[in-house]
Amino acid sequence: MNVDPRRSPGPEEPHEAPHTAAPAVSVVVIVYNDEARLPTAVRSVLDQTLRSVEVVIVDDRSTDGSYEVARRLAAEHPGRVRAHRLPENSGGCGAPRNHGIQRARGDHVMFLDSDDVLERNACRNMLEAAETTGADLVSGLCVRVHVDARSGKEVKWYPWLYTRTRTLDSISELPDLLVFDTLSTNKCYRRDFLLANALEFPVGIHYEDLLFSAQAYAAARRITLIPNRVYDWNVVDNPGGAGEADKAAAKSISNRRAEIANFTHRMEIHRRVDQLLADRGLAELKFHKDVKFLKHDLVLHLRDLPFRDAAYRQEFAAIARAYLESIDPAAYAEIEPIHAICAYLLRKGDWDNLLPAVDTLTNRDKISAPLVERDGRIYWCAEHLDNPDDGVLARRVLDVTELGYHTRPVGRMFLRNELTAYQGPSGGVGGSGGGGTVRLAGRITNPLGVVPPGARLTGELEFAARRKGVRFQVFRFPVATLRHEGETIAWEAAADLTRGLRPVGIVDAVWDVRLHLQVDGVRTTTRLTASEPGLVTGQLPVRPRLTRLVADRIEPQISSRGHLAFRLVPDKKANALVQRGIHGAPGRLAKSGYRRARAVRRTLASGDTKIRVYHEVFSRLPVKKRLVVFESHLGRQYSDSPRALYEEMRRQGLRFEAVWAYADSAEGFPEDAVLVRRWSMPYLKALARAEFWIDNQSYPLKLTKRPGTTYIQTWHGSALKRMGFDEPEWKLRSRGEQAAQQRTLDRFDRFLVRSEHDVRTLARAFRLKERTLLRVGYPRNDALVRARETPGRPPLAAELGIPEDRKVLLYAPTFRRREQRRFELPFDVERFADTFGDRYVLLVRSHYLNHVVLPPSVRGRVVDVSSHHDVTPLLALADGLITDYSSVMFDYALLDRPMFFFAYDYDEYVHEGRGTYFDLLERAPGPVVRTEDDLYAALGSLQQQSAKYSGARERFVADFGEYDKGHAAESVVDQFFAHWRRT
Amino acid sequence: MTPCPYPYPERDIFLVANSVNELGGVASWSHQMARLLTERGHRVHVVGITPPEIAMELGDLPYPTTTLYDGHEAHGGRPPRLGRARHASMRAKAARLTALFRAARPGAIVIVTQVWAMEWVELADTTGLTVIGMSHESYEYSKKSSRFRRVLKHYEKADRMLVLTREDADLWIGQGLNNTSFMPNPLPFIPAEPSPRTEKAVVSIGRLHDQKGIDMLLDTWAEVAPRHPDWTLRIYGSGEDEEALRTQCTALGLDDSVAWMGRTSDVPGALRGASVFVQSSRGEGFPLALMEAMASAVPCAAFDCAPGVHEIIRDGEDGLLAAPGNTGELARRLDTLMSDKQVRDRMGDAARVNIQRYTTDEIVRRWEELFGFLER
Repeated sequence: MNVDPRRSPGPEEPHEAPHTAAPAVSVVVIVYNDEARLPTAVRSVLDQTLRSVEVVIVDDRSTDGSYEVARRLAAEHPGRVRAHRLPENSGGCGAPRNHGIQRARGDHVMFLDSDDVLERNACRNMLEAAETTGADLVSGLCVRVHVDARSGKEVKWYPWLYTRTRTLDSISELPDLLVFDTLSTNKCYRRDFLLANALEFPVGIHYEDLLFSAQAYAAARRITLIPNRVYDWNVVDNPGGAGEADKAAAKSISNRRAEIANFTHRMEIHRRVDQLLADRGLAELKFHKDVKFLKHDLVLHLRDLPFRDAAYRQEFAAIARAYLESIDPAAYAEIEPIHAICAYLLRKGDWDNLLPAVDTLTNRDKISAPLVERDGRIYWCAEHLDNPDDGVLARRVLDVTELGYHTRPVGRMFLRNELTAYQGPSGGVGGSGGGGTVRLAGRITNPLGVVPPGARLTGELEFAARRKGVRFQVFRFPVATLRHEGETIAWEAAADLTRGLRPVGIVDAVWDVRLHLQVDGVRTTTRLTASEPGLVTGQLPVRPRLTRLVADRIEPQISSRGHLAFRLVPDKKANALVQRGIHGAPGRLAKSGYRRARAVRRTLASGDTKIRVYHEVFSRLPVKKRLVVFESHLGRQYSDSPRALYEEMRRQGLRFEAVWAYADSAEGFPEDAVLVRRWSMPYLKALARAEFWIDNQSYPLKLTKRPGTTYIQTWHGSALKRMGFDEPEWKLRSRGEQAAQQRTLDRFDRFLVRSEHDVRTLARAFRLKERTLLRVGYPRNDALVRARETPGRPPLAAELGIPEDRKVLLYAPTFRRREQRRFELPFDVERFADTFGDRYVLLVRSHYLNHVVLPPSVRGRVVDVSSHHDVTPLLALADGLITDYSSVMFDYALLDRPMFFFAYDYDEYVHEGRGTYFDLLERAPGPVVRTEDDLYAALGSLQQQSAKYSGARERFVADFGEYDKGHAAESVVDQFFAHWRRT
Repeated sequence: MTPCPYPYPERDIFLVANSVNELGGVASWSHQMARLLTERGHRVHVVGITPPEIAMELGDLPYPTTTLYDGHEAHGGRPPRLGRARHASMRAKAARLTALFRAARPGAIVIVTQVWAMEWVELADTTGLTVIGMSHESYEYSKKSSRFRRVLKHYEKADRMLVLTREDADLWIGQGLNNTSFMPNPLPFIPAEPSPRTEKAVVSIGRLHDQKGIDMLLDTWAEVAPRHPDWTLRIYGSGEDEEALRTQCTALGLDDSVAWMGRTSDVPGALRGASVFVQSSRGEGFPLALMEAMASAVPCAAFDCAPGVHEIIRDGEDGLLAAPGNTGELARRLDTLMSDKQVRDRMGDAARVNIQRYTTDEIVRRWEELFGFLER
C-alpha cells in the first residue's frame, strides 16, 4: 500500500484497485522542501502522452509542506499518484530514490526531481525504445533550462551522445556514455533489471548519480540511446542574487570546508567507480574515465586555485594527488598539452610552475611560463626534465613544441604579467587632496628570451571601460620602471587615478587594466594577473564626469579570468535611484532606441544591403576606362597570374588605374596600387566601375558583371581532380541551382588555358564557350620558363639563409580538409633533417588554409615558407619538388627538374573523393611513393631520378603545358592593353 | 509478439490526404494501405481535402471516400486563398471531418498522409481518436521545401509523426519534433517470376524529371558504356525533361546504347528484361522502384541519396551504392555488376530474399502494433 506506515490512513488515502494492471512506467519523484514546484513536476508526468504511467512521490522528510502537497496530489489522482515519506531526512537523493524503486510497480522505472520536468513524450519514447530493442536501460537527451535567463537559454547535456538512436550490447562500445553522461534521471530502467542486479544509490555521500549510473551501465546487457529530449533540468543561475563579485573574493572558512568536503566525496565516488570497473573487467573504460578526469573534472577545480588561499591549495592538492596516482600515464597523451601540464605539476606539487600553468588553462592563448629549449624541442619549464624517476614522462608532458610558441614574434604573444605588489593610497578614502595614487609592480614572462637583454623597453598602463563595441574612453599612465631580469621583465608604475581617470559615471561601471610593453618599438599587450587572493584591496576616490551622486570611488577587483580591473562603487541610495531609472520607462526607452540603432547598423552592414548597393547604386555609375581590379585566391594573396600580369603591365609602363583586393591584411600587397578590402564599399564600387576584372578564382558570386566590363579569368592550375560540373556536389544541384551557377561562370569573358588538357577538363567542366578560351599559357609560369633557361640560384636562397652547398627541396602538398587547422606533416620532419640535413634544405609550403609548426631542432634544415604570397619564386628556387596531387606539379614540370610524388593516401584521395581526370600512377613524371621509407629511398639521389624520368617529364609538359612558352603575360597585354602604352 | 493471427481489434481508420486520387506515390500508398487494412477487417474511410490536379484511376474501392471540397463551394473545389474567407471555409470543412470522427467507434485512428491535410484535421475535434501524421519523403528533401516548417508546426501535437526510416526520424527529433517515429512502406508486389537476368540490359524506371537525375545517369553511362559495347541502357519513363535528356544523350554519343522506352504500365515486365537496375536520383524517400527491382531479383546500383535507399539496399550484399552525384563511382558500381555474372546472380538472389522484410503482412502487422501501442 502507498501509505506511510506510521500514519493511519485518512479518508483521502486512495485504495488501490487490486485488479489494476501494472503501469508501463513508474516515475519516482523525490522531493525535499520544495512544496511550490512539486505539483509542476508531477503534472509533467500525468500529462505524458503515454497514459500508462504512475507517480511515486518520495519525500525526504521535508520540513515544509511538501509531504502534504504530495498527499493532496495522491488524493486528486487515485491510482496514478502515490505519496511516501522517509522516516528521517537522509540529506541526499540516494535514499528517497532507493525507496521509490522498492515502491514502484511499473515495468519500467524513471527518476524525476521535484524541481525538474519530463518532456511530454518522454515516457512513450522511452517505452517504445525499450520494447523494440529489449534494452535494460534507455537513455535520452537531457536539457538544462536556465529558468532565470531572459531569453530562455537552454543547453543540451552532452548532445553528441544523443544525435541518433543507437543500441549498445555493452557499455564498452561507447565509453563516453559512462564517462560523460553520469545522470540517473534522463533514463528509463527495466524494473526487473534494477531488482535482479540489486541496483541502488549509495547513501550518505554526494555525487550518488555517478556511481549509480556507472553500476547500471556496467550491468546492462543492452542499452538504447534515443535522440529525443526527455528531461528538463531546470537551473537557477542566481540563487539569492549573489553577484559575480564574490567569486573573486577568497571564500570564507566554512565555504572552504564545504568545498573540500565536496571534493573528497567526488574523489571517493571516483574511486568506487574505478573499483567497479576493475571488478567488471572494464579496464578500458577506466582509461577513458581518466582522460575525462584530467580534461574536465580536474580543470573545474584548478581554475579556482588562483582565488584560494595557501591552506586550501594544500588540502586540495593532497586529495587530488592521491587520486592522480591512479591515473594511467598514457592518459596524458590523449589530452591537450596544458591539461596534461597542470595535472603533472599538481602531482609534483610544483606550485611555482603550476599557478602560471593554470593562468594559461584559463586564458588559453596566454604564454605564462618562461619556456625552455632542450635538444631541439620546446618545454614548458626546465624543471623535471631530467628527473631520474619520471624524466621521460616529464619530457612527454611538458613538450609544447607543437603549440608553436617559438614561431611567434613578440608582438603576437599574449604574455603573463604577474602583479606582485599593489598599494592603494595611504591616506584612505575621502580626501580629494591627491590621495588617489595606486602603486603597482609586477613581472612579465619572457619566454625563450623573446625580449633580448639589450632591448629598448617602454610601457604604459591603460584603463579602458569594459563594454562591447568602441572603446571611446581610455586613460593611460606611463610605466616608470622596466627592468630586464632574464626570464621576466620587472616593472613598477604609479597611477593617480583620482586625477587621471575620469569615468562618465553610470554607464561605465567596470574598468579593465592592460599593460602595453614596447620591445624595440614592437607592442605586446598584457593583462595584470593577481596570483594571490587578498593582494588588491581598498577604495580610491574618482571624479565621474556626469555625476558624483552615483559613485565617487572605485575599488579594485579580480575578474573570473584572474585579471585586475576596477569597479565604480555605487552609493547605495543613489544607486537605487539610478536602477529605478534604468529599469523604468526612461531606461526602457533608451535601451530600445539603442537596440534599434544597432539593428539598423547591422542591416546596413549586411551582405544583402551591400549587394543591393552594388547593383542599384555603383553599377549605375559610368564604367571607368583603364580601371583594372585584380584579385588572387579570393584576396588572400598577392600572387599567381594576376600578379604576373600586373607586374608585366607595370613593366611596360601602361597607363592604367590598378586596384588590388585583399582579404584580411594588406601586408605584402603592392604599394603602387589602390588596395581595397574584399567586400568593402570601395571594393564593390571599384568592381562595378572597372573596365577589367583580372582574377584567378572568383569574384563574389552574387555580383553581376556589367557588359562594359571584361573579365579575364586566369584560373589557378590545371586539374587532376574533377572540377566544376564534373564534381558530385555540382551535379547534385537542381536545374535551377545549376543555372545560377552557370551564370557566375558565364561572367568569364576570357579563360586562360595552358594545354588542350585544360580545354577537355576545366573548360568543359565549367561549360565555357570556345570563344572565351585563350590558349596563351599562364602568366605566372613565364618566370619558370625563364628560370629554366637561366642557370644559377635566385637571390631568394640568400634571403632564406640557404648555404651554397645544399640542394633545395620544396614540399608542397595539396589542401586536406581536417578537423583542426593544424596540418600534420605526413612524415617525421626530424628524421628527414637527420637523414638529409647535410645535403638538402627542405622548404615546407602548406596550403594557405592549413598551418604547420616545425620544431626548433630542424632549424636551418627545414624551413616553413607557407607565409610567402607567391609560390612561383619558391618553385624556381627548388632543385626538386615533393608533392602529392597539387596542381604545382603541372607548373614545376616546366623547370625540368626532378619531382617526387608522396601519395601516402592515394586510394582514399582518388576513390573516396570526387575522382580524377587521369591516373596519376600512370603518368606521373617521377616516382610515386606511398611510405616515408620509400620517399627517403627515392630522395637518395636527385641526379639519378632526374635522368630516369627525363622522358616522362617531357611528355608531361607536352600534355599539360604546351602553351606555356614564357610569353603569356606579354601576349595578354598585347591583346587587351596595347593601346594603353605610352607613346 | 503473440502468434495469434488477429491480435488487434477491428478499428475505424481514416486516411486523410490532400486528395483522394492524386496521381503519385502517396495516393498509391494510401489505397494500398486502405485495401490491406480493409482486408484485415478494419473500417477504412479515405478522405481528401480537394479534388486532384491530375487524377489517378482507382477502379472499384471496397471502402468509402470523401472529398471535403467537392465542387459545391464558391471557389470551385479549392479553399479560398487567404484571409478570413479561407479561415471560415477551413472551419466549415473541419466541421465535416468532426462529424465523420464523432461517428467513429472508440479506438479510431486518423492517419494524415500529407502535412497540408493536417491543417484541416487540426481544426477538427479529434477527442478520443489517435492522430498519426506522416511525411513520405526524406528529411533532407523536406528541408529544401516549405514543408519543413509546416511539418514542425502542424505535426507537433499529433500523437505520432511517422517518417520512412529511423534515420529520418532521428533527424526530425533533432529538430525538436519529439513525437517522431518511423514506418517503412510496404512492397507493392512480389512477382511470381524473378528476372532470369539473361538480357544484357541495365534498366532505369522513373519520371524524366530533375529529381530522378537521368542527366547524371547519362554521364555515368558515358563512362561505363565504352567498356561494355554489347550492353543497353533502357530508360523507362516520360516527362518534361525528355527533350533535353535526349539532346544530352546524343551529345555524349550514346544513341547506340541507350533506348528510350517511354512510360510503362508493365513494371514487372520491364524488370523481367533487366539484369541490372540503376537509380541516379537527386532525392528519394523510400523508393518503390528499388524494392520492385529487388523483388524481381534484379541487383541494383544506386546513388545513396536518402536514408530510405541504404535502408532498402544492403551495400555489397544485395546491391551497390555510390556517393550521391559521384558519377564516376556509380559507373564503377555498374561496371562491377555488368562485368561479373556471378556477382549479379548472388546479389540479385539475395535482393529477392532480403526485400521480404517489407511484405504487406509484415508492414500491416507493424501498423496494428502501433495502433495498440498508442492506446497505452
